[in-house]
Amino acid sequence: MARGENFFPMRRGEKIALVVLIVFAAASFHPIARSVEVAGMLLFGWLMAALMLLSPLLTLWVFWRGRPRN
Amino acid sequence: MLVEQILVVLYLAACIGIGVYASRKVLTSRDEYWVAGRRIGAAVNTMAIMASLASGGSIIGVMGYAYSQGIPATFALFAGAVVGFPLASILVARQLRNFGRYTITDFLAFRFPSPVVRVLVPSLIVIAFTAYIIAQLKAAGITANALLGIPYDTALVVATLVFVTYVSIGGMIAITWTDVVQGVLMLFVVVGTALVVIWRAGSPFALIAQATEVAPELGGLANPEIGSAVGYFIIWATAIPVIPHIVMRVFTARDGRSAQLSLNFAMLAYSVMILAAVLAIVPLGKIAFPDLADADRVFLRVIQSEFPAVIRGIAVAAVLAAVMSTTDALLLACSSAIAHDLLGDLLRRKASDKTLAAIRVASAWVIGILALYWALSPPELLTRFYTAGIGLLSAGLFVPTIAGLWWKRANRAGGLASLVAGAGTYVLALGGVVDFGLPPIVVALSASALAMAAGGLLGAPESPEMREQIAALHADAP
Repeated sequence: MARGENFFPMRRGEKIALVVLIVFAAASFHPIARSVEVAGMLLFGWLMAALMLLSPLLTLWVFWRGRPRN
Repeated sequence: MLVEQILVVLYLAACIGIGVYASRKVLTSRDEYWVAGRRIGAAVNTMAIMASLASGGSIIGVMGYAYSQGIPATFALFAGAVVGFPLASILVARQLRNFGRYTITDFLAFRFPSPVVRVLVPSLIVIAFTAYIIAQLKAAGITANALLGIPYDTALVVATLVFVTYVSIGGMIAITWTDVVQGVLMLFVVVGTALVVIWRAGSPFALIAQATEVAPELGGLANPEIGSAVGYFIIWATAIPVIPHIVMRVFTARDGRSAQLSLNFAMLAYSVMILAAVLAIVPLGKIAFPDLADADRVFLRVIQSEFPAVIRGIAVAAVLAAVMSTTDALLLACSSAIAHDLLGDLLRRKASDKTLAAIRVASAWVIGILALYWALSPPELLTRFYTAGIGLLSAGLFVPTIAGLWWKRANRAGGLASLVAGAGTYVLALGGVVDFGLPPIVVALSASALAMAAGGLLGAPESPEMREQIAALHADAP
């Protein structure tokens, strides 16, 4: 089995969405985000709040773009 | 108090009524009972999924946690579950819906056929979910006691009788209908309260600025040690794609696309509710009641001080709805682990449809009564116990499920090894026997992934027929 055939194929948009979500989540936990304060709250808190909205919206956008066209 | 009590009685009666009505359709059909005939549309499933995830903790607990531990830690705790739903929609929703059975055990037993899977997976589910149900019942008892003046034990018995009745006779259809009502009620109460609070204050930023001036700790981390927050985040993000009461919702969807959409719309609604609660109601609570001894009371104090009796009654019903909408889904998943996963194959060969229906009803009652018994004198550290239970499910099931769907070299040896290594390592790491200075879930998932890789690379390759069947699961629905 060739190296590239080890996995069942994933759609490009879904792959990008997964990478964006994982990178965003990992970056949110970076120590810098816990040392900067914005509007009375740690940046970490704002990033987590943004992640809560970004993750479903991003995936919905990916599915909407990939919808079957009749 | 009378208005609140009347509204709650009406709400409970409506739940029973829905169960009785649904029972006419579902009792003699496995498809109707476990997965509501696989015809639930995206809009209804969205609200049902949102309600299933939003437990009592999502209303009372989230605000209490933000009040005592600060807003950033609270978002970290809840963002894991929110991220888990997009993961589920990409990694498992279409494939499992195309698989078209009833439970996560069905998939794992098909992909990695072995009696170990048929026994170990439902056993993990029953252990983890029974603890979860006990915690939810405890929340219902405390809430009813505090808000309606009903004794804790009486409230527990009444709540258990109501939800076990409608789950046992109405199955997934009753749960779906009651969850839609409960989800709408929760959203209406929490978001409505937040909008009123924001309208009075001018903006949420003004509220937060004022609150963090009074109590700067609200915007910081009460515990600067971030390890546990990372652990909780990973537990929930990896649990959602495999957790049985959410996977069963995927099986109820009309098709894979409908399942994907409803998972994400549900999380959008859930996120809006959590953000509204934490960014509006908690800051007001901190300003108005800065020294609450019991942080979990902050929502109730805000409701009591700002709104009239009818709204307070609806709010009590919303809290009970949050508890019951999660508990009913957990009970059905737990009952399916016994009646379908453990006993199903054995019984289907010998028993009539009527006997099978009686066993489904009986298994729900057995679990409900056991959970009630333990909830009457709940064990210490219950919250940690059930979170550990969810971690155990995630540690054992995440890698086998995802690799089973996506990695072509995943085989029976790898599947069994990763299931046992994930669950076993999690128990050892949680008990302190294995300590790498990392959260137990990180250690367990790594062990599970290594075991899968070793089994897949060293063991016998999977048959071409199995690969073709898995490839077919990735196709779009016709």
